[in-house]
Amino acid sequence: MKVKGFLKDVGGASRVTKMRQELIASGSPIPDPKDPIRELADLLHPGKQQFTVTEIREASPTATTYRLSPVNGHVPVFQSGQYVNFYLTVGDSVLTRAYSISSAPYEARLAEPYFEVTIRHNVHYLVPDWFLDNVKVGTEITAALPFGQFLYEPLRDSDHIVGIAGGSGITPFASMAKEIAHGKLDIDLTIIYGSVKHTDIVCGYELEEARKVAPDKIHVVHVMSDDDEWDGEKGFVTREIIEKYAAKFAGFTKDTNAAHGPSFFFCGPPVMFFLIDKIMKEMGVPMKRFRHDATAQPAVKLIPGFPMDQVGKTYKMTVVRGIHEDVIDAAADEPVAVSLERAAIPIDTHCRGGECGYCRTQLLSGDIFVSPLNDGRRAMDKELGWFHACSAYPTSDLKIKIPII
Amino acid sequence: MKFYKDHYDVVIIGGALAGLSAALQLQQKGINDILILEKHNLPGGLATSYVRNGIEIEATLHEMMSIGSKEDRLKVGVFFDECGVDIDWLKVPEAYRFVEPKKGIDITLHSGFETMANEIDAQYPGWGPKVLEFMQLCNRVYDSMNTLSVTPMSKPAMLMKHPDFVKTAGYTAVEVIDTFGFPQDIIDILTPYWIYVGNPMSTLPFTIYAFLMADYFRGGSYVPKKYSHEMSMKLQAKAEENGAQVEFCQEVEKILVKDGKVTGVRTRRGDVINCDYVICGAYPNKVYTQMIEPLSEVPAGAIKMVNGRRLSVTTASVMMVLDDTAENLGIEDYNIFSAGETMDTDKIWEQGKTTGPYKYLTSICLDLANPGATPEGMCQFSITNLPLVQGFLDLKEEDYYDFKRKMAKEMIEEYERVSGINIHDHIVEIEVSTPVTIAHYVGAWKGSIYGYSHSIDDHAVARLQMKEDDHFIEGLEFAGAHAISGNGMGPAVTNGRAAAKAVIDDVAKKAASAGGSKKKA
Repeated sequence: MKVKGFLKDVGGASRVTKMRQELIASGSPIPDPKDPIRELADLLHPGKQQFTVTEIREASPTATTYRLSPVNGHVPVFQSGQYVNFYLTVGDSVLTRAYSISSAPYEARLAEPYFEVTIRHNVHYLVPDWFLDNVKVGTEITAALPFGQFLYEPLRDSDHIVGIAGGSGITPFASMAKEIAHGKLDIDLTIIYGSVKHTDIVCGYELEEARKVAPDKIHVVHVMSDDDEWDGEKGFVTREIIEKYAAKFAGFTKDTNAAHGPSFFFCGPPVMFFLIDKIMKEMGVPMKRFRHDATAQPAVKLIPGFPMDQVGKTYKMTVVRGIHEDVIDAAADEPVAVSLERAAIPIDTHCRGGECGYCRTQLLSGDIFVSPLNDGRRAMDKELGWFHACSAYPTSDLKIKIPII
Repeated sequence: MKFYKDHYDVVIIGGALAGLSAALQLQQKGINDILILEKHNLPGGLATSYVRNGIEIEATLHEMMSIGSKEDRLKVGVFFDECGVDIDWLKVPEAYRFVEPKKGIDITLHSGFETMANEIDAQYPGWGPKVLEFMQLCNRVYDSMNTLSVTPMSKPAMLMKHPDFVKTAGYTAVEVIDTFGFPQDIIDILTPYWIYVGNPMSTLPFTIYAFLMADYFRGGSYVPKKYSHEMSMKLQAKAEENGAQVEFCQEVEKILVKDGKVTGVRTRRGDVINCDYVICGAYPNKVYTQMIEPLSEVPAGAIKMVNGRRLSVTTASVMMVLDDTAENLGIEDYNIFSAGETMDTDKIWEQGKTTGPYKYLTSICLDLANPGATPEGMCQFSITNLPLVQGFLDLKEEDYYDFKRKMAKEMIEEYERVSGINIHDHIVEIEVSTPVTIAHYVGAWKGSIYGYSHSIDDHAVARLQMKEDDHFIEGLEFAGAHAISGNGMGPAVTNGRAAAKAVIDDVAKKAASAGGSKKKA
């Protein structure tokens, strides 16, 4: 082998070393600790922040909206449909609870930025009415945002969304509607919203205000399951109702090509999800055109395959954090994450539905049942026994390892 | 509550491939008192996957190098075997398809030096033998590089036993390729992998280029059956089985130094952990400007080093799940490199300093190497460009999501233009990663994925020769793309092992001198 002559060739290694010495010698002696990329990443995902409750108002006779303003003046950019994770102190425990953001993204970019959540009363989310009972104007709360993939993605979704909501599942669509009305989100939105009675309608005022501003882009259809006074659609949200309004406002036909029909988005309670999921299949809505929000795991009787003979049993759970071990009780019909919360051992859950994986936990010994609903475990995690604590239930004594918080 | 022991022999910052490999290498030599602290809640760093709507998606890995077949294991494959890390490797069907529409080039090459030479010969008759000769040169340099990285040798001995390595070490890829007199089309066809070392051919050391070409074309490349997360998880499981303590969600903020020597680390949570050695996955730029405590312990030379060296590329990648099979969509190849405008890597490099539209793209359809990677009737498909960070430095928070979508849209459209395949109508899931994504998940300096530029003036051979000059703090070793062997998942393993070896050697040296002084006493 000869490149440029023997002497030059064999001197190559010394030559490149000299080049490198010169390169380093040319470096400035002044430290440059600035990393704008990490700074941007930290702005977008700041982690836990302190917020002050600056406004509380009724969103319906059965729901309350809380406005949270950041202590440091910054709310990270979020997209309609994403959620916030609260860190609530209850007794000795810090409970993590996720709620969809009901305000619009533009409100977080105002001179005095904020975001809002709208919470139904008396919904047992392990801490029933914690907000209603504990939160006043001026209360400081720890929260992190934004999370979740339940959002309009223009590279994937149709620019006409048919939003199907049940109960407080309206909040992502309220956020979207406000953003559309503000001119910041250029899509059409047809909302089909199921409530029990018209007094249960959450964010009704916001929806109506947004609709009035953009009547060509926003359509709202209320469906009441048990309200004699109601003169609109009645009963459950059925295939007929969805097809009727998707056709009327969003150009849906049964032969609509997958790529060109509207996108159906669902947010609501698990029982309603089972129903809507079935309807979507019957309607022939392709996978690409049906998105649903990650919901918390329902009561075990609603989880397909749950070993009901376990209900009422309690197991011993050894919890390893670093070189420290605790032994706690773990109810068979509660997720592992809930047993940890009851024992005041912090676990950073987010979606609480099995999907997101923040509460990824190592199973060292014992057996668990993992809910098949929204199972977000990776294949290798399944094989090596890692699970998501929010959606796994002990079926024997357990030994687990979780991150130190 | 006490979560850590008072002292560890070695603390490893970062549970990615380099850190985990370092742990396994230490354990092989009987150093077992190890704590691994990982920022994220899972191991592997960029060697990872994520799940969307129940579908697991590969996050980064295109092709794992240095694995080899069971019969002809290469360096990393051998190490995993020795450690008892048993990964279900699947061979990638072809090396690559290369498409350069302006010149009408469309060729698919497979591994095996003769095979690929014949494939080139079929389109450029008569050139096969010369291509084979070239690949054999690459292979000799490759073998030498592997030998010399573990066996120090005098310069005359090196010249005797490894003449081609020595004689090409001082030249760029272009300079050596030019001696073969190939027509430009063949040069273009031999160039696509350049992006996997993130440096244009005109300043890329031939040594590095040859290593890459020989490694990929000799044994082919591989992917783990259960995504790169399989590799990360099995390395972690083995390190734990051997006694290492692994803790997730623990970002190390400070490396504590006293009198020029490491004494421990402090985590973001506030835990102070004492140790004799730190093997660090964080970039030297961050370590020497933010992490060393006190910063007065950072020598001036360390600052000049990180300021003088140039960061290599970062990533812009669009990852998608598509609602049909690769076959039905018309995607025929696992890996396509497309040069939509030019194959002049200097020009592509200039484009890489912007935010696009990018014209040099790598597209991967995982299901074609890993059938069943995506549920039936679907496939997963990614389009990647590896730009420099420059174009991203002024991005504003408010514009970030729109920016990502614009970039992704342009990349999808460019792929569609070159291939004639419709992608956008089939997207079921889509995620876009940028340097900001990298910085968020793994904390890498400026979202870098490839360490420092593999340029001729920062040559791996020179890095090796200057190893002592680059060592500033006693007990502190670096393991990651920023270390001597540079970027890629294969080299990450090698870098981790090298860092472990430095610790092992130092322990042995201290034991010898302690033994010596005892004898004297």
